[in-house]
Amino acid sequence: MPLSDLDSTRSLALRTIDGATRDIIAAAKTVYSIPETGFNEFKTSAYMQECLGSLGFNIETGIARTGMKAVLKGGKPGPTIAVIAELDSLRVPSHPGADPDTGAAHACGHHTQIGSLLGVATALSAPEIRESLAGNIAFIITPAEEFIEIQDRLALKASGELEFLSGKQEMIRLGTFDDVDMAMMVHTAAGKTDAVFSVGGTSNAHVSHQVRYTGVSAHAGGSPHKGVNALQAAMLANSAINSLRETFRESDVVRVHGIISNGGTSVNAVPSDVLYEGRVRAKSIEAIEPIAERVIRCYRAGALAMGARVEVQSVAGYHALIQNSLMQKTFADMAELVLGRDSVNIVDDSQTQGGSTDMGDLSTIVPVIHPYTNAAAGTGHGDDYLIEDYDRAVVAPAKVMSATVLTLLNDGAKVAKEVIANHKPAMTPEQYVTTQRNRFKTEVYEPS
Amino acid sequence: MVERANLKSSFSSAINSRADELERIARDILDHPESGYREFRTAKIVSDWFQTNGFEVKTGIGKTGVIATYDTGKPGPHISVMGELDSLIVPGHPHADSETNAAHACGHHAQIGSMLTVATGLMESSVKEALVGKVSFMATPAEEYIELAYRESLLEKGEIEFFGGKQEFIKLGFFNEVDIAMLTHTGGETSGTLGIGGSYNGMIGKTIQFIGKAAHAGGAPHLGVNALNAANIALAAIHAQRETFRDADTVRVHPIITRGGASVNLVPADVQMETYVRASNVPAILKTSEKVDRALRAGALATGAAVRIITNPGYLPTKYDDQLIEIYRHNAASLIGDENVIELNHSTGCTDMGDVSQIVPTIQPTANATSGNGHGIDYLVDNYDLAVIKAGKAMGMTVIDLLADDGSKGRKIAGAFKAPMTISEYLSRMRCFRSDVTFEE
Repeated sequence: MPLSDLDSTRSLALRTIDGATRDIIAAAKTVYSIPETGFNEFKTSAYMQECLGSLGFNIETGIARTGMKAVLKGGKPGPTIAVIAELDSLRVPSHPGADPDTGAAHACGHHTQIGSLLGVATALSAPEIRESLAGNIAFIITPAEEFIEIQDRLALKASGELEFLSGKQEMIRLGTFDDVDMAMMVHTAAGKTDAVFSVGGTSNAHVSHQVRYTGVSAHAGGSPHKGVNALQAAMLANSAINSLRETFRESDVVRVHGIISNGGTSVNAVPSDVLYEGRVRAKSIEAIEPIAERVIRCYRAGALAMGARVEVQSVAGYHALIQNSLMQKTFADMAELVLGRDSVNIVDDSQTQGGSTDMGDLSTIVPVIHPYTNAAAGTGHGDDYLIEDYDRAVVAPAKVMSATVLTLLNDGAKVAKEVIANHKPAMTPEQYVTTQRNRFKTEVYEPS
Repeated sequence: MVERANLKSSFSSAINSRADELERIARDILDHPESGYREFRTAKIVSDWFQTNGFEVKTGIGKTGVIATYDTGKPGPHISVMGELDSLIVPGHPHADSETNAAHACGHHAQIGSMLTVATGLMESSVKEALVGKVSFMATPAEEYIELAYRESLLEKGEIEFFGGKQEFIKLGFFNEVDIAMLTHTGGETSGTLGIGGSYNGMIGKTIQFIGKAAHAGGAPHLGVNALNAANIALAAIHAQRETFRDADTVRVHPIITRGGASVNLVPADVQMETYVRASNVPAILKTSEKVDRALRAGALATGAAVRIITNPGYLPTKYDDQLIEIYRHNAASLIGDENVIELNHSTGCTDMGDVSQIVPTIQPTANATSGNGHGIDYLVDNYDLAVIKAGKAMGMTVIDLLADDGSKGRKIAGAFKAPMTISEYLSRMRCFRSDVTFEE
């Protein structure tokens, strides 16, 4: 009994999700209970394989260590739409859901994305719906969206396991998105508003700096005059960076922030090996460049002041997010249809909260949307960030993404083809890979 | 020895009869303070006094310096007895000049008094007859190493080469034939004592300019390069060096900002600083100077500004002569009692007596006759009898010991002295300290 009518396929999909509500929320909560940081999501990945496997999918696994992909072929040929979920957690040891051993915690709500994706997969794999699709759905589960543990990831890069340091970046390089025409995912957001979804807006691009100061160790009490204090160098650099802030233009949405991840070995030795991890974010890669150059001057100044050596490794971070307006409109329409008027808050394209996502990287090669569901309480990345409404966090995105996919691929994928026809990608995947490779660089400064 | 005691007694009597006059001169100078290389009135008081009293006088040495010669006409050692002409600049000091804020917050006015006291006693004919050799009374300009920009301008005009008055005297050759030097400074140790020994740090001076780029501080800060931020980073970077300073080196680095920006709505593009680098020994001064320069360059590097660092020779650490100290100790004790002659510690301040002490046997006792903090608004000489009269007597009696008996003691000390450097070595070393470098990196 093929369903040709959009209304009836959509209502079947929504009913299917209603029936699966308990399971998909339970899946999200299971993932919440096994938080793992990027490229380490082996348990989460195995659990996800099991879930998708039980829906009858063929799954390509082990992409970029823990990522996977399962393609649902529609009844008729047409474009391929990726529905994405992120596997990784943050590391917030004081979070109530933190793993006591690793400190990993889902303080960014990625676990709910797993539940939503399973909801979409359950609904669209129903044979009547699948048959009606003029195109395909690629379920892509991505590792490592949080750009953290850079040193560990650089070690994986050095051993040849990775080249780029985030999941979607690496999957673009590996060709996982080569057959994808457009992509979508829904992320949680804190601050529960009347509107379920916030649609639109952008995100910052970023670059990571791994700044290693090398001084000379000496007894800090007995012979400090023989030492060269690498920690002082890092701290001077940090305060020098602060003095740059007055030159940041609001319109560039600059964020510069760092941590000292190795600040000395023992307090009675002059620190001689200090690692400062800096990050420069701004509205675009182009806006970052002159600022990063000046921040690097500050790193060098710290070294010069103390007579230390500094090695600055620039690590290619994310691109700014560009969202597709027709896909956004389709998503917003579907949200209003499914959840009622006032369920969507439209955000201006230029608005950014300052954070970054590797959906930005994907948006340089294909049309994407990355709406937020306002379902969490607390501060993103804080130890109080908790999902307080799983219906909003898991079920609503599953329903609206399903309805959006059905609309895009309805009627010979008319809307999806319009999206493709009107989209000018910023770069090809090959250009993207080259661009990212060129953003990696290491410079050594040894003052005379 | 009886004869020596009689000489000293005649010397003292001559002073006692003119004590009021000598103290009055010191107080007059207190009320008319002039900072270094500007001591025209003070110099005139000194030269007039010596001329009136029949000395041969040279003026205008090192801009304002004065030398009056006391010549016994007989060959013998040549002793320099000194007094410093200059004041500090201390707004708020009760005796500050209302226009210039110059103030004698370091007691130099009393030094002039004690120097004239020595001259007064030695003029006594019975004393002069018994002595050999010469005494040069040197009123030296600019001991306080301040107003660097003004002195830089004098340097550019060729009026001086060094920022310290005694350094100019050395350069001009006035120490070429001096065998022994002395000066009494006021001090703040236990009241009523005379201090001997001790030592002072040496130093170099730096004049620093950060050159940025002006822009509207509200409208377009992103177009500016903030020279004040460069200076702030440099200051923090200087402080970060402190843990590497060795206790034994008694390092002092204490910068000031002399220009911090033109107006608050402009990104500061011209920021100027001055600093000293002091330490107990020359290698430590040079090593610390390198660290300071690196820190200054770091401020410039961080902000993209340029930095010009002008380094000028400052003063050398002191090296006082032990034998001379012993002669002085004996005379001081005869005036105020053994228990009131105290040993001084190392001082982390600096003096151009340090330079003198590197080339001739030198002492610089202190007359502890003050209240308040040195260089502070409350620093006052409160015992003129000690600071002017007794200080002068102790020095003069030491001169008598050195020049009596055909100058045998003076010759002995001069002969035993192993100068750390000759005058020409001194001059070339001091000239090496001077540099003017702009960093833009």
